[in-house]
Amino acid sequence: MRAVDALEIKELVKRYPTGTEALKGVSLKIEAGEFFGLLGPNGAGKSTLIHCATGLAQPTSGEIRVFGHDAVHHYQEARVAVGLAPQDLNLDFFLTVSESLDYHGGYFGMPKKERRERTKELLEAFSLTEKRDDRTRTLSGGMKRRLILARALMHRPRLLILDEPTAGVDVELRLELWHYVQRINAEGTTILLTTHYLEEAEQLCNKIAFINGGEIVAEGTSGELASQYGVRSLEDAYLELVGRNELSRAQIGAEAG
Amino acid sequence: MTPSQIRFFALLRREVNRFMKIKRQTIGAPMLETFLYISVFGAALGSRIDKLHGVDYVVFIVPGLIMMAWAMNAFSNNASSILQQKFQRAIDDQLSSPASPLQLLLAFTFGGFLRGMLIASLTFVAASLLVDIPIEHPVVLVAALFLVGFFFAQFGVLVGVRAEQFDDVSFYQTFMLTPLIFLGGVFYSASLLPEPFQTLTYFDPVYYMIGLVRYGFLGYSELNVAVALGALLLAALLLFAANYRLFSKGYRLRA
Repeated sequence: MRAVDALEIKELVKRYPTGTEALKGVSLKIEAGEFFGLLGPNGAGKSTLIHCATGLAQPTSGEIRVFGHDAVHHYQEARVAVGLAPQDLNLDFFLTVSESLDYHGGYFGMPKKERRERTKELLEAFSLTEKRDDRTRTLSGGMKRRLILARALMHRPRLLILDEPTAGVDVELRLELWHYVQRINAEGTTILLTTHYLEEAEQLCNKIAFINGGEIVAEGTSGELASQYGVRSLEDAYLELVGRNELSRAQIGAEAG
Repeated sequence: MTPSQIRFFALLRREVNRFMKIKRQTIGAPMLETFLYISVFGAALGSRIDKLHGVDYVVFIVPGLIMMAWAMNAFSNNASSILQQKFQRAIDDQLSSPASPLQLLLAFTFGGFLRGMLIASLTFVAASLLVDIPIEHPVVLVAALFLVGFFFAQFGVLVGVRAEQFDDVSFYQTFMLTPLIFLGGVFYSASLLPEPFQTLTYFDPVYYMIGLVRYGFLGYSELNVAVALGALLLAALLLFAANYRLFSKGYRLRA
């Protein structure tokens, strides 16, 4: 028997009250253990899809299952299985660094002792131990980013969703975050990553989907995507997707040559 | 504790932790305000005012001040806390957790409720040190104060969820709550007012709340206690039901 998928989305539609259709019948499968990249231009529907899977948005129709649990009707089981590191640095200004982790663990039903141990472990792993009693407001951008990721991991989710985790992050921290997520993926955590950095997706993801205009338009490994579009690289495939192939570095290089 | 209980207490701890961290604003300011009311209206002016319904003026106003403290703090705590979290989007951490709509609603509600209770209790203790405050009907008193606290805590949640900017919160506080509470008779007995103001007062729901609390402390009442208590219970339940519906639908919380 095949293992249950980490995320299974069928015919997902999200229409906002304004009439905007952000998702137009998206179907997607992420197998347990995969490192899955979701790429697309701004406004393509990436964040809406993530919000529908985590309860921050309510699907208009369609189905979402997280490790087999319906994300709408059995949301409690589904949400326990997901950790979300959102795009915005949405930390609670009233809490300290360690409180942010402790409360999050509490919201996910972790007993006190386990919360204390896990907090200590994550503070160490993300070099935040010295800052543990500081209010989140006083942290630098990079530290906030690390704390967001630590918070998402606090309840040991089986599916980690990273919504543009490296936007505006310096090179050292980006590499640090890459190493960390690669390690937890190797340890068995399934990862869904959205990013605008194509080399990041190429480096990390074993499967990539393109989303545009609220629809999944292509799916496969980076090499498969390139050949689907009849180009050489993921970047060129992406440029084909958004209809801007005149920006292709290969083409510009060839013309210059 | 079950995971569900852990969740609820974590949500509630967050709310209590927030107001305890900004004590100067959330506890200090309302305590000072109450102290100023008691000193100005009670001690300074009160000595010139005859007894009202058989008690000294300062004693007459204390029940209303206690009720006002509970109501205002329950309201403003919840409205501000929810709006702030919506602004920072920090509320997404709770919303994407397995917490149920009912747990979220109750945790937000009891945050303000507890802050109101704390300030009302401190007001009572402080006032008791200055003057002798009787408690004639403790059961009615506790029931009335709890219902008033719960009602305004619910109202704060409602305004916080609906609000899009801080102006929305201060609008309700300044243009609705403050007039209704002041004109409900915190500082006077409606029976002293000339017409049509006396009759108009009967349309102010806060008048009945103050009446109930005053009855609990002083044993004196202008209204039918059982009916007023029943009406207050009904109003609190209706508001709770409305909020529960909003939370279940994710109104202005989940896109």
